[in-house]
Amino acid sequence: MTTTAPQTPAIFPAWFAARQHEAWERYLATPAPKRGDETWRFSNLKQLDFAGFVRGADVSPTQAADLISRSSGLENTVAKFVFVNDELAHSESKLPKGVICLPLAEALVSHSDLVAAHFMQQETRLGSAKFAALHEASVSNGLFIHIGDNVEIEGTIEVHHWISGSNVLIFPHTLVVTGKNSKVRVIDIFRSADDISPGVAIAFNDLSAGPNSQLDYVAIQAFNEVTRVIQINETSTARDSSAKGFVLNTGASWARNESLSRLEGAGSRSDMLSVSVPAREQEYDQRTFQHHVSEGAYSDLLYKNSLYDNSKTIFSGLIFVDRNAHHTDAYQTCRNLLMSDTCEANSMPGLEINADQVKCSHGSTSSQIHDEEIFYLRARGIDPVSARQLIARGFSVQVVERLGDDATEELILQFIDDKFAHIDTTDP
Amino acid sequence: MSYQDATATLDLETREAIDIDRSKGDFTFPERNKFDAGRGLTDKTVDYICDVKNDPDWVREFRHKALKVFRDKPMPTNWATKDLENIDFDVIRYYLSDGEKPKRSWADVPADVLETFERLGIPQQERAFLAGVEAQFDSEAAYSNVKEELTKQGVIFCNSTEGLKEHEAIFRPWFGKVIPTGDNKFSALNSAVFSGGSFIYIPKGVKLKQPLQAYFRINSENFGQFERTLIIADEGSEVMYMEGCTAPKFETATLHSAVVELVALKGAKIQYVTVQNWSSNVFNLVTKRGLAMEDAEVRWIDCNIGSRLTMKYPGVIMKGERARGEVISIALANTGQHQDTGAKMIHAANNTTSNVVSKSISVGEGRSTYRGQVFIPKHLKGCRNNTECDALLINSNSRTDTYPAITVKGNRHATQHEASVSQVSEDMLFYMQQRGLNQGQAMSLAVNGFINDLVREFPMEYSVELKRLIDLEMEGSVG
Amino acid sequence: MSLHIQDLHATLEDGTEILKGVTLDIPQGEVHAIMGPNGSGKSTLSKVIAGNEGYVVTAGTVTLDGAEIFGMSTDERSRAGIFLAFQYPSEVPGVSNANFIRAALQARLPKGVDIDAVAYYKNLYAKMDLLEMDRKFTARAVNEGFSGGEKKRNEILQMMMLEPKYCILDETDSGLDIDALKIVAKGVNAMRSPERGMLLITHYQRLLDYIKPDHVHVMAEGRIVRSGGPELAHELEKYGYDFLKEAAFA
Repeated sequence: MTTTAPQTPAIFPAWFAARQHEAWERYLATPAPKRGDETWRFSNLKQLDFAGFVRGADVSPTQAADLISRSSGLENTVAKFVFVNDELAHSESKLPKGVICLPLAEALVSHSDLVAAHFMQQETRLGSAKFAALHEASVSNGLFIHIGDNVEIEGTIEVHHWISGSNVLIFPHTLVVTGKNSKVRVIDIFRSADDISPGVAIAFNDLSAGPNSQLDYVAIQAFNEVTRVIQINETSTARDSSAKGFVLNTGASWARNESLSRLEGAGSRSDMLSVSVPAREQEYDQRTFQHHVSEGAYSDLLYKNSLYDNSKTIFSGLIFVDRNAHHTDAYQTCRNLLMSDTCEANSMPGLEINADQVKCSHGSTSSQIHDEEIFYLRARGIDPVSARQLIARGFSVQVVERLGDDATEELILQFIDDKFAHIDTTDP
Repeated sequence: MSYQDATATLDLETREAIDIDRSKGDFTFPERNKFDAGRGLTDKTVDYICDVKNDPDWVREFRHKALKVFRDKPMPTNWATKDLENIDFDVIRYYLSDGEKPKRSWADVPADVLETFERLGIPQQERAFLAGVEAQFDSEAAYSNVKEELTKQGVIFCNSTEGLKEHEAIFRPWFGKVIPTGDNKFSALNSAVFSGGSFIYIPKGVKLKQPLQAYFRINSENFGQFERTLIIADEGSEVMYMEGCTAPKFETATLHSAVVELVALKGAKIQYVTVQNWSSNVFNLVTKRGLAMEDAEVRWIDCNIGSRLTMKYPGVIMKGERARGEVISIALANTGQHQDTGAKMIHAANNTTSNVVSKSISVGEGRSTYRGQVFIPKHLKGCRNNTECDALLINSNSRTDTYPAITVKGNRHATQHEASVSQVSEDMLFYMQQRGLNQGQAMSLAVNGFINDLVREFPMEYSVELKRLIDLEMEGSVG
Repeated sequence: MSLHIQDLHATLEDGTEILKGVTLDIPQGEVHAIMGPNGSGKSTLSKVIAGNEGYVVTAGTVTLDGAEIFGMSTDERSRAGIFLAFQYPSEVPGVSNANFIRAALQARLPKGVDIDAVAYYKNLYAKMDLLEMDRKFTARAVNEGFSGGEKKRNEILQMMMLEPKYCILDETDSGLDIDALKIVAKGVNAMRSPERGMLLITHYQRLLDYIKPDHVHVMAEGRIVRSGGPELAHELEKYGYDFLKEAAFA
């Protein structure tokens, strides 16, 4: 798959075909990450061999129906979409006027200019430029959401992305654009149809928060543990807007998250949040970038990892303050909770400050649960295994709570609890 | 009265004795070198140095191997500044000396060299508070002396040439072991052409009450200084070593590329203090690392002022249980300067502890960078690291970067890292000026306040000098 | 001999006019008080006199014993004898109070002359005793982690140590409990002298119960709208600022 140029369907507009063609050339021309690349420091580059994985595996109607019925999430949604191997399997919507929320394949035809104005506008700079190019060349579907000015969506748009079949490669894409004074929340949930079929997902989500709007985005990555993922997030915030991005990692054998926020307007705010619970041999590789372009903006990053068994995490974050981005407030915190004596946590928090009158700080810690904490819970009659789990859960909850929406928090905690239920926590 | 107040009163008394400042270092004497390896670096250059120094064969071989490694290794510009590409290895002069052996008495030192070190205040300092001094002028030491009672106790303090010849049995087993030739391009360069630097051996149980000092002086234009220092503190011994560096202001770039290896055997303690005040056309690319065995401690106390580019990341390999490593670092980057400094902490035994505190100040268009590495491997327990880096920005054109990397394997350890960036605020300056301080004084006070807790880690005589250097830098940068 | 303010106009950097023609004369030996509601320009007046760069003087003059001060920098004005006790004193991390005051005193001496450390500490401790300050205070960093009351006392201590010709106290009473207020007043009263002029800026009459002013001025919307004796403060206390606003437009 990654050796032959994908064909852009004839129904898509010419600009899109040209972009895909150009992206394919760029994909071929861009060298693969190699040892010594700063953006891949500590990474396991062997994970980047995707040979043998193919796109567009057929899905039988019964299989599709099964996955639609398993696409449970929030009790109430304002719209719900189910994609299986990048094909739309189901959709429902109660969205008001002023909102365009369509599968990308449809939006490309019906709202060509609008998609063109927002589709993959930022340069991927955290290491995966080659894979972003591959995604751009290959993407055929996904979700396009455009919220008109002054439209506030109460409730959540929920999107399910399934991988079904063996050695399947998917390119999920979510593009959200909010207009002036608008509001929306979108949840992507990534899963595999079974626990044994290897898959690869190269996912892209592109969030553009318009002036004074509020854009909340949640990605729940719960693929099976023989699937590999590259997930690239790019967020931009206009004046006085607020964007919240949250990533939960419980699944995949290897997941690379690249998350970039560009603070483009004064008074705007970006919250970059993540919870990861790797166990067994899982590896999560997280790269973040808080780019303060405008003065007077605020960004706050909080990543928490609870590491079990032989798992490994890499966190590399950079706060970058442009020359004229005065009065920037930027914070970055990465906390690793080490739950086994064979796990490995790497932290590379970074700062590059070129402006004046800035308040920036970063902190990172790696530690285990303190004996006193366990003792305190045991003194209340809780057994040590439960005590450890309780504390580890509480560690994650502190991030989840930042979302400020009960139903969403509950959904995320379900996935976290499900992960805990599949970890052998008896060995302290 | 607090410690601070004590230093403030001492300031007046000791000022005379330790008066070193940038302008004081900015002078030069005509060269009168008997031995000059010429410009550029070839196998012949290496042979020339070997011949002049009458190196034993194993050293000659070591140098030639290192030269090959140097040639094969690329510049580390994949992570470091591109300014490194501006070093022209073909115009640099790799060895200059007058062919004299280091003197044991200042009276025997040639008049111009003596005057150099007198203007830098070295003989006065020696009388005031030092146990021994080595003063290097370009490639070789001009003066080297240690108090007699220490020699009687078996303390060795000489230059590296003498060390490898006279004390091979102690020197050779550790030489190049803490920092292998191929560690980086500049350690390889140093290994090929090294000359000068100190060799120190402190016998078992000997605890030096007064510090040993080395002073490194560049006198000639386009010169590359490549001193090599090896300090071995035997079981239960203690030593503090201080180094100072200056060079006059030349029109063209000068290169200083040292390798410093410290070995603290069981229960020993080494403190290595640097106050560097290079002129702003010196490339200062230094590799420093210590090895701490069981219950041993290695502390790097480092102040970097001046130079065009400094790249220096002192490290400690904690190889024995309960070993401790520490880096305390202050960097001040003024316009035209880039201080790229940091620390490496390698935990290789149980219950080892490391601490890094770094404070940088960027002034005008200066740039400071912190790079850190902390590594705690699997199957160890009870390792701890604490890292703090704080940056102060003085002007909107200055820049600060922080790039730490922390790897922890296993759950029986604790690491924490904190970094912050702050400014001298307009409000604070107005407040201080309302009390009658001019802008330069107010800035100096704010900067001294920022680094005050670290300055206390320096020996008192150095901390006073350090504050004065900072005052000088600040006064020149405002108004 | 006086601190004389003549028809002073000043704006923020964005052009908003805060002082709209203030005229005031504070002769040596007198204590003046300016009262006024929030936003009347009282604090701005003190900052403009001290030379804060956040304001632009558009008209008027301020003279110190006859010498024009607008050509002088903040620190020059300070050394010429103007002291401002800040409403919100700045923190100076890492710099001890003892070293800070010493540096300020040193800045007033000619080059080459150093402060006599023994005499300095003797003087400092005496002033601290008067203000009931703990000796440990000397080693603490300037205003860092200080309570509101400690900050204000520290301002008075600096004033007593620097012995200025003219003192401007900006809302020194705000945030003080009654005991702290009494101590601060004790310090200020100890500074009253025929050679020294004082300007107290306050929102409340309470401070003036402890530091008796010779003259009271009321400021509103960037101008002095009324001047009188100490009785004016009591009138204000009784009727509030609204009655004065009416008077201003009457």
